[in-house]
Amino acid sequence: MTLEAQDNELARLSSGVPGLDKILQGGFLEGGIYIIQGDPGSGKTIFANQVCFSHLAAGGRAVYATLLSESHSRLLQQLRTMAFFDETALPDRMVYLSALNALEDKGLSGLLDLLRREIIARSATMLIVDGFLAVEASSSSEREFKKFVHELQSHAISAGCTVFLLTNGANRPARPERTMVDGILTLSRRDYEARSERELEVMKLRASGYLGGRHAYDIGSRGLTVYPRLEAHFSRPSRNEEFSAERLSTGVPSLDTLMGGGIPGSSTTVVFGAPGTGKTTLGLHWAASGPADEPTLFFGFFESPPRLLHKADTLGLPLRERVEKGLTEILWQPATEQNFDELGVRLLDAVDRLGARRVVVDGLGGFTGSTPSSSRISPYFAALSNELRVRGLATLYTAESRQVTSAPVEMPIDNISSLVENLLFFRFVELHSELRRLVSVIKMRDGDFDATLREFKISAEGLQVMSSRFSAEGLMTGIAHEPR
Amino acid sequence: MRTILVVDDEFGVADVLAAALEDEGYRVNTAANGREALTRLGEEVPDLVISDFMMPVMDGPAMAHAIREAGHADLPIIMMSAMPEAAVRQRFDGYFGFLRKPFRIHVAADLVARALGEQPNPFT
Repeated sequence: MTLEAQDNELARLSSGVPGLDKILQGGFLEGGIYIIQGDPGSGKTIFANQVCFSHLAAGGRAVYATLLSESHSRLLQQLRTMAFFDETALPDRMVYLSALNALEDKGLSGLLDLLRREIIARSATMLIVDGFLAVEASSSSEREFKKFVHELQSHAISAGCTVFLLTNGANRPARPERTMVDGILTLSRRDYEARSERELEVMKLRASGYLGGRHAYDIGSRGLTVYPRLEAHFSRPSRNEEFSAERLSTGVPSLDTLMGGGIPGSSTTVVFGAPGTGKTTLGLHWAASGPADEPTLFFGFFESPPRLLHKADTLGLPLRERVEKGLTEILWQPATEQNFDELGVRLLDAVDRLGARRVVVDGLGGFTGSTPSSSRISPYFAALSNELRVRGLATLYTAESRQVTSAPVEMPIDNISSLVENLLFFRFVELHSELRRLVSVIKMRDGDFDATLREFKISAEGLQVMSSRFSAEGLMTGIAHEPR
Repeated sequence: MRTILVVDDEFGVADVLAAALEDEGYRVNTAANGREALTRLGEEVPDLVISDFMMPVMDGPAMAHAIREAGHADLPIIMMSAMPEAAVRQRFDGYFGFLRKPFRIHVAADLVARALGEQPNPFT
């Protein structure tokens, strides 16, 4: 066998489904045969058509054979609402055919003959068989069924035609065809209390690695978009880290001093505290203070861009000016029902698009609240933080505690200390019937910092940390009193 | 009794159309693709052919050209498709009328009556 022939055997075919090629680590194998299984309504038909039209756009030709009761006219009516649908490809490069007659009149051999002839006659490089369950139901024995799959596979390989068999019954026990095909993908819907998520899982993929486990997907006018589980996709960072010893100013010089010079470059910082303590205000300082050659992303969950800009105006911060110059982008994600992995993709895409060097994630709770699976939070943020770090970003997360003044406080993520390098704590303390704001630096990467408790104030001049240490007793109870 | 040959690879479409036309008083034969239709035509020449566009083995336009080449110049043909009529006309333009799928049965019945030179049934 020549090297060229070997290369051809392993040639990959992009799925055309955003996110899926990452899970398949390159796409489907050309000339391979794949089962796409899922319950009715899971999106198998849209998936297959999306793959087909992507293939057509790349110069391929396809035959879409149905064994369904749904009419082609109804199918085309639905497909016309999809952005990928290209009617001009019909019928020369893509054709919809009913194969049910052949199956019912002449059985599996008649169906195989029809498919084989259509592949050859139309020089098809992709074949979809929609309603494959009917083939199994029509076979008189397991042997006949296996023979059909084997022969279809042989024809497909000889014609260089990639085949997708769409079938119901994702939860059925192992069937003989499953051992024969090159890959099996399951589309399913999973309920999490009142919420339901669509999930894709690769059950089998020959001659390739793949990202295992379930990955969320949604269906919109562009077809399916798959969101690889972030902690699987970036189980290892996408590139090597370039260590940076530089310090970036938070925009609050007095806080920089406390932190030993500011936030280390390419690092992760969490400012943690009660509602109203000034976490978002610090984020605004940071977003507004970067140099002109350092774009900043403000990825917020709770306050809309107009509110944030107004807030920055009242603090005397030049955020509006930076936004108008395109140096800072505010990307608002309403803290409603969002897809956990889609949020990560949006964040990473935005920092790449901007070429950002600093990012504020305002509202870690908005992020964590989008996952129905709390066990994912820690590995997800480990992967996200690593990825942001290797992309050269210094990230500031704000995280809210439930307690306003009392102690002990609960960290928003398990093992947070191992995930972040720098940790600030904002808190309220009641003293003389007045709520005072305190900041303490709990942890900083690679450097000295001032661990003393400091009071800070927020005014029209922004956030300012007092130069003298805050002296009182009973701070950790939340109700302080003067030292005796 | 007038005879109509309905050609469609989708059982659902062929059977529903055949049943509706039988209710109108026609005798209806069906075929699942163009080649099967030509075989039927060799056995009995109908008064009208109604054919789908995209079909396996032999599609509607290829069948229509073959019908004309076989000398049936005046045999009316109605083409039907879920695709725009322009796509059909590009391949074959010698048809009597076009039905865009999905269609209402009374629209089909009216077109059939006109193709056969009859008055449309006002009650369908």
